[in-house]
Amino acid sequence: MLVEQAGIQGQPILRQRFAGAGTECRIGRDLGCDIVVDDEHAAPQHALLTLLEDGRVNVRDLGTRNGTRVDGKLVPADVGAIIEQGEIIVGRTRLRVRTRHVPMGSERLFRREFVRRHRTLLATAGVLACVAFGGFLQWLDAPSSMLRSVTKGGLVALGLIALWTGLWALTTKLNHGSWHVRLHVTIASIGAALCAWGYWLAGLVSFTAQWPEIVQIGVAAIGVATLIAFYLHLREATHYRRRMAFALAGAATLVIGAVAWIVAFGVEDGDVNRVNLGPEVRLGAARVVPNRDISDYLAEVDELRLAAARERQKSLLNAPLADDED
Amino acid sequence: MKVARFVAALWLCGSATVVAAPQDEPPAPAAEVPPVEPPPEEQAPDGEQAADEAAADAAALDAEIASQELSGDAQVRLDAARESVVQIRGFFHKSETSAFHGSGFAVDDGQRIVTNYHVVAQAVLHPRQYRLEYLASDGRTGPLHILAIDVRNDLAVVAAEDLELPPLRLRSEIPAQGERAWSIGFPLNLGLTITEGVANGLVEDSIVQRVHYTGAINGGMSGGPALDTRGRVYGVNVSVVSGRQLVGFIVPARHIPPLLARAREPMDQSLSAQQLRQRVTAQVLAYEAEVLDAQPDSAATQTVQGYALPTQISPHVECSTVDESSPHVLVSVETVSCWIPALIRVQQGVHVAGLSMRHRILQSEGLHPLQFERQVNSLAAAPRRTGSAAHVAAFACRDALVSLDGFDARISTCVRQYRLFAGLYDFDVTVVGVDDERQALVSRLALQGVSFDTGKKTMERYLGALQWRP
Repeated sequence: MLVEQAGIQGQPILRQRFAGAGTECRIGRDLGCDIVVDDEHAAPQHALLTLLEDGRVNVRDLGTRNGTRVDGKLVPADVGAIIEQGEIIVGRTRLRVRTRHVPMGSERLFRREFVRRHRTLLATAGVLACVAFGGFLQWLDAPSSMLRSVTKGGLVALGLIALWTGLWALTTKLNHGSWHVRLHVTIASIGAALCAWGYWLAGLVSFTAQWPEIVQIGVAAIGVATLIAFYLHLREATHYRRRMAFALAGAATLVIGAVAWIVAFGVEDGDVNRVNLGPEVRLGAARVVPNRDISDYLAEVDELRLAAARERQKSLLNAPLADDED
Repeated sequence: MKVARFVAALWLCGSATVVAAPQDEPPAPAAEVPPVEPPPEEQAPDGEQAADEAAADAAALDAEIASQELSGDAQVRLDAARESVVQIRGFFHKSETSAFHGSGFAVDDGQRIVTNYHVVAQAVLHPRQYRLEYLASDGRTGPLHILAIDVRNDLAVVAAEDLELPPLRLRSEIPAQGERAWSIGFPLNLGLTITEGVANGLVEDSIVQRVHYTGAINGGMSGGPALDTRGRVYGVNVSVVSGRQLVGFIVPARHIPPLLARAREPMDQSLSAQQLRQRVTAQVLAYEAEVLDAQPDSAATQTVQGYALPTQISPHVECSTVDESSPHVLVSVETVSCWIPALIRVQQGVHVAGLSMRHRILQSEGLHPLQFERQVNSLAAAPRRTGSAAHVAAFACRDALVSLDGFDARISTCVRQYRLFAGLYDFDVTVVGVDDERQALVSRLALQGVSFDTGKKTMERYLGALQWRP
């Protein structure tokens, strides 16, 4: 935002620029103010301008007797006024404010209205869900010391979220001048909790419905969740526009996906000792599809003759036998 | 038998045995080559040996041992056989240095040389890549070609043009337990060597016939002759148990004559590489039809916790209840293991026609069902499969929830093919019983190097015998 102080003839005698969402500009007689006015009708700390994320300015009166006016209207004492541009009167001094306002999209409005309002609740819920998953995984292994293992699982989950949130909050601090810790905790923890619990539930469903493809769908859903979380982090922490944020989030998701793939399956995909046993068995789980008939299954096993031959062809194409000229 | 498993553990690159000769006197087909006879001073032990063969006379044996000097005895054996034994060396392409080596010895008319299949396997399977050469005692060398192979008994007959050596005589009957014996070969490329030991008769319960020899056999002696007290070849050095002491195995000489009858023209020149591999495959399948595919008189099962578990799905299956540590303190496991050892080696590191079955009954002692099913799944996924990408292709799998006799199970069947042998498959079947929250069955059937039809039939027999009668 650009703040200009007008002289007696209306010509600007002072011009100052403020950048970055959250940046504040204090106006008053006090020498500690960002704009010091030589005006006996102004208070030592008279008004506070805060640059908002969408580029507009929040004008607040700091409890003065005379009040602060915007375009002639008195600013309400409690909430202040939000303006794109206008003339602010502090005592008898006139200050012109200009901004570059970009209208907010619905997604930002939602974040602003809903997420920001409930950020404490959301952050707490997300963190609890993640810690619970960490503990649940430890509990599933039925460890000898339940308390120690579950605590360990919870702490690991907590530590990971703290590290991740810290990185993004720091970026926000550097770009916007404030930390936004709860917002980033919300994004990180809810994203992670959805992925973790969702994947576990997908395993259950894939056995119950005998639908192994659901695991692949689950992996795709995790990819989408990661993309969205990255996008939101970037939008909160940086000045990137929508497209740029989306492109960066997409790239990061691809890189993380590739690394996860390599960790899970290795670079070589021709591991001759890997077997796919199918969905994990859930004892006593209700199953919604009837069992296969043994003769149907054995007929399906016959297809393995061809499938194995295809694998052999693939193997021979990759690495031909040394003397295959016959 | 555990021992049978160990047999596969270490194979020697080495040589073989000779055609069975008439018991009394070996005919010497080539007039100019005198049959190898024990020197006169050995007559006494020979006499003893004959007595031993008839039915050992303990007193005479004592006298014999007392009367002779062992080291001199070995020297005589070695001198008598020296000219008949050759080193067989394999070379990669035109290379001057050998890729592998073993031993062999002349039999029959002196023009044919017996060795182990595994000594010449590389040349059989990759005839365009590897060539064979002999190195005779007088320093002569020359190319060898393969006339016949017997994968089951790990024997091969090779020959070289214009090479005629004094043949060794064969002895078709198995030496009695405790009979003195010698083995000759080129251990670790250290030159012609003789070792002395004791023959301990046929290995009991072994599917393939082997004489147990208590004496030193080392890599490179494979294919070398195993001699009795009269200097006759009773077998061919073939393998040892690695990590144990002096437990060696000898292929009995009685398997040599049928092979010699087939050894006419050089097969490595008349057949393509593919045809040679098919011939190896065919021999494996013939063995397998006898061992794996045979229906037992009655399919035996063992009952554990209400589950009827197939054990004797073929007459050659051996079983044991092994002590397996439980994956969790609150889970108890009862394990029944059954197997047919994969005794047929078609290629270095590739043993085929084997079966292994492991049934495990898990019982939860107070675990939550979610916790128990995790233990069950991790146990089902635990077996480490072995196989090298050089020898086998990747597995193809199918899984389904199937109703078996009395219970439901997830069956996962995985099949893979051998790269070199299109007719051989590995089967890997995992069955996980899913009905009970406190008890589960994790059972696995693994078949190594079988035909698809045998694999599937064996699998059907196995699945058909699984029952739950609580």
